[in-house]
Amino acid sequence: MASGIDDRYRLALNRLPAAVTHTFSSPSKRIHDGEDLGFFLSSAAYRDLTVWLLQLNRSMFPTKMSDGKLETCTLTSPPTYSTNVDNLRSMLTTLASFIERAPPSTGPRRFGNVAFREWCRLAESEADLLFQTHLASVTQAYTSDDPEVSNALIDELKAYLLGSFGSAQRLDYGTGHELSFIAFLGCAWKLGAFADGEERSIVTGVVQPYLELIRKLILTYTLEPAGSHGVWGLDDHSFAPYIFGSAQLGPAFEPDDYSKPVPTEGSLPSAPSPSTVANKARTLDYKDDNMYFSAIQFIYDVKKGPFWEHSPILYDISGLKDGWAKINKGMLKMYAAEVLGKFPVVQHFPFGSLFRWETDPQAAADGRVRSVHSQQQPAALVSKDVPLPGSSVGTAAPWANAKAMGSGVSVPQMQNSTGVPSTRAPWANSGGGGRSRMQAQPASGVPATAPPWAKRDVPR
Amino acid sequence: MSDFDKAIAQLRACRPIPEIQVRELCYKARELLIEEGNVVAVDAPVTICGDIHGQFHDLMELFRVGGDVPDTNYLFMGDFVDRGFYSLESFLLLLCLKVRYPDRITLIRGNHESRQITTVYGFYDECLRKYGSANVWRYCCDVFDYLALGALVMGAASELQGTDHAFVDPNAQATMPSADCDDLEIEILNQTGHIVSRFRRKDPPAPQPNDSQLSNPGSSPSQQPNHTPSRNGAPGTGATSSSRGSSSNAGASAVLCVHGGLSPLIDSIDKIRLLDRKQEVPHEGAMCDLLWSDPDEIEGWGLSPRGAGFLFGADIVKCFNHKNDLSLICRAHQLVMEGFKEMFDSTIVTVWSAPNYCYRCGNVAAILELGEWGANGGYAPRGNGDVGRSSGGGGGGGGNGVLAERVEQREGPGRRYRVFEAAPQDSRGMPAKKPVADYFL
Repeated sequence: MASGIDDRYRLALNRLPAAVTHTFSSPSKRIHDGEDLGFFLSSAAYRDLTVWLLQLNRSMFPTKMSDGKLETCTLTSPPTYSTNVDNLRSMLTTLASFIERAPPSTGPRRFGNVAFREWCRLAESEADLLFQTHLASVTQAYTSDDPEVSNALIDELKAYLLGSFGSAQRLDYGTGHELSFIAFLGCAWKLGAFADGEERSIVTGVVQPYLELIRKLILTYTLEPAGSHGVWGLDDHSFAPYIFGSAQLGPAFEPDDYSKPVPTEGSLPSAPSPSTVANKARTLDYKDDNMYFSAIQFIYDVKKGPFWEHSPILYDISGLKDGWAKINKGMLKMYAAEVLGKFPVVQHFPFGSLFRWETDPQAAADGRVRSVHSQQQPAALVSKDVPLPGSSVGTAAPWANAKAMGSGVSVPQMQNSTGVPSTRAPWANSGGGGRSRMQAQPASGVPATAPPWAKRDVPR
Repeated sequence: MSDFDKAIAQLRACRPIPEIQVRELCYKARELLIEEGNVVAVDAPVTICGDIHGQFHDLMELFRVGGDVPDTNYLFMGDFVDRGFYSLESFLLLLCLKVRYPDRITLIRGNHESRQITTVYGFYDECLRKYGSANVWRYCCDVFDYLALGALVMGAASELQGTDHAFVDPNAQATMPSADCDDLEIEILNQTGHIVSRFRRKDPPAPQPNDSQLSNPGSSPSQQPNHTPSRNGAPGTGATSSSRGSSSNAGASAVLCVHGGLSPLIDSIDKIRLLDRKQEVPHEGAMCDLLWSDPDEIEGWGLSPRGAGFLFGADIVKCFNHKNDLSLICRAHQLVMEGFKEMFDSTIVTVWSAPNYCYRCGNVAAILELGEWGANGGYAPRGNGDVGRSSGGGGGGGGNGVLAERVEQREGPGRRYRVFEAAPQDSRGMPAKKPVADYFL
């Protein structure tokens, strides 16, 4: 410890050693109740998701080079992409092309377009081919051409990829799906698809095109916002672009100096003021370069009305005086609480051999990782939307997830389930219904494909 | 009363009233609502409105289109709050009007008038933001518990007296029934009061292809199955046999208004009357179902994808209406792009009153006016002699999209729909930014 390099802020997702035999497994859902959520928050998977997010976030700040020059991160001046980044980009292009093969239905509908189910079916049926075409080199390194291992690996990755485009059943999309894509990229990192220092390329070269595909899907199939509080949420669908986009506009620092954390206040001198987002015309000037503004532009595209009225949270944030780095720090905290800390969101997250459902051994042993945890957590981390274990005073619907949602009427559970246009019961399990008759009430057999539900404090 | 008049003026200007006034208002409202039955009797004429969801400026547009309180008698079918920016102003204004003009406005409960739902979908956040504490939210929730569960509109005229406004499309006028024809059933007006279309009972609207397999259940128009029109005689209230048509009475039978729909536990309106409603909306049971259920193109009952309430099919509605001597169920609860949607041979209608829902859905809104029986000078009461004209008859009178024929049902009331778009946006000034959430401090 004495003369070692101070790298306490070096964070990187561990790669899977290529030489070691690894047993891949098809991911499954593990978070069924409040206790499970508590376990998740101290799990290896949680640590990995947090580390991965912070690793990507750090890379997005403008860079102060050793010669004193600044290297900003803009979407319009991309770096040269590696083969695997290019492969993932091609994969997204192919997925986008499925829209032409699944044109929106012109028939009557209430809101979401049922043709989205056809798009999802195409994605699912072609997924194996997509992996073979675009990620063969990655998968081969771990499977020694053993088809069984190869299938297991692809199954594991596929769960995260296919979970990232929204719910075919409910025709909606929310931050839970976005998290699934972040995890998919984390899997690819663990499998050595990317080199050190490639994080910025991953965000600008893959995450941003993913978000663009999502916006296309939302517009084409009028996907409902899963997880919307109406005007009282950050954004109807997304969270990641606000994290990475605010980092892009933060002050420059030396990312390779791991003795220093990322900036938590200030802005790049040339950055537009945060208040610019409330100006529709000026948002146009920045949307092509910056992920935050790109997301804001999408709001302007789909919503009619005063920005401060339909997006009051973003409007208030635009009044912050401490710069984009402060916004970035706030977004990370908010993400930990409102996405990763919400039972309704993460109950759908599946765990496998890469994002593991097991206690994080380092969480206890390694103070560094622990500090990452606490650094990113708001005070009340275990949010109160978590069903209280054992407090099943209530009258849960027979088809509701009684274990998870069974606490009483007097303790409101929170959901962030769906925004537009229909409301779902916070106490019910997600999805399902509609076809079976009443006499065939499923005990708990309602398919749970619902995206995020969430909320913060329990009002008293 | 002048205090309430002042509060009304302030709320009409979209300015919240002080917390202490909210407390007083909610106290007064509770005193008033506790006297109402679970099913409020409302006399026609009445204008029936669906979900508002805090879209205050659109509520003002609704009053502009439908007439002001107390000149117009209103019935709001719940979901005043959540999602929109002005749930507080919208609900308090409606409540003030209720207290000030109790006989001219009826408010019934929607599934969002609940502690649990408002903590999820925005109203709680909004109250915290606008008052800095949850007190006002708590006062409002206490009022929610006292809201009636339904309303029964009595004395609606079965024939409609057409308005004398111009047609949107002057060429359409020649092909449409005249305003004073004696069997006008439906008139659709736009927000400037111009006539979009008119339908008389004996002219089933032209059929359209049945696209129902493409559609979301319970969704947009033009998916009505084709039915051969076959009607019984004119209705009379109270009669239940096939000879119920009575020449002495041309009023339509009653219209039940409820936020969501029916419940498998409720086969008569009297059973609604027996519920103990003064509580948080339960997770299951009759009260929950009335606020959560949706009609759907199924037979019998189905599970609701919402996780509360049920789906119910045409057979359920027709049976319920027959048994309870209803001609129509009027409900809200589901976005309809066209603002309203009649289903199941016009035995049930969805009315949606939040235009461009959530600033992005692109839908229009509607309100439904039911006229007063006997108020129309020009109609001739029809008796059993009319039966013959409607029996059997030419090939399929499916929906024209929004409207459909009825089969073996009581004649519904004459219906005037006023359809309107979102209020203009430009005149709203930009407010000061509020302190951000703790995450950003």
